Amino acid sequence: MANEELEIQISKDGKVTIRTIGIKGARCLDAAEMLALIVGKEEQRELTSEYYEQDQSQSQHLGIHQKYQ
Amino acid sequence: MSTVMVVTPIIIANWPVISAAVAGAVGSMGFTLAEAAAGVDVRVSSKNATRTEIELDDSEILSAGTELGEEMTVVRDGVTARFKRDARGSLTLCMEGEGYTKAELHQIGEELMGRVTQQYVYHRVMTEMKNKNMTIVSEEVDTDQTVHIRVKNW
Repeated sequence: MANEELEIQISKDGKVTIRTIGIKGARCLDAAEMLALIVGKEEQRELTSEYYEQDQSQSQHLGIHQKYQ
Repeated sequence: MSTVMVVTPIIIANWPVISAAVAGAVGSMGFTLAEAAAGVDVRVSSKNATRTEIELDDSEILSAGTELGEEMTVVRDGVTARFKRDARGSLTLCMEGEGYTKAELHQIGEELMGRVTQQYVYHRVMTEMKNKNMTIVSEEVDTDQTVHIRVKNW
């Protein structure tokens, strides 16, 4: 938790880039989405390694579950 | 790093908020509020002046029910830039200048509008961060005028 941060970049034309740092899984989206809602409309989204770390474990779990259905 | 999101700003505000953003932004481009610029009568338009208009599509200026005061003029080197709320409620910038081409005026106007948007977004973000008790870890302005803010605790 201590290293969880949001980096907000506001360019000179007002465009905003939000980057989450150290937040794993879908929770990182909550923080970024909250800020995006305040600012305007989301144009682009990129999910990088930390998001997929947790997402992959969830997929594996689902895979096993589906296998025994 | 786990998510990168690019967001286009939408300005929804009343005129006092917009005028504060204009006042805060234009100085970085060398513009001065018309009232503060000595000897400049912005009411007089030259016949030879070039004019152009820029409308900020993603904006809605909430009307206070009066047309009075919903306008702000800034000046620099013979260029007059008038911010106003148009009939549809959008933020519009009327540019006027002698010895400038329309394209030059348009470029200056676009840059001005960008800085005003940046200023508005900055205040919006900072206010919300403080309301949510988030801690501002650092704040920097690049040489290209990009603002970098780092926050934590949510």
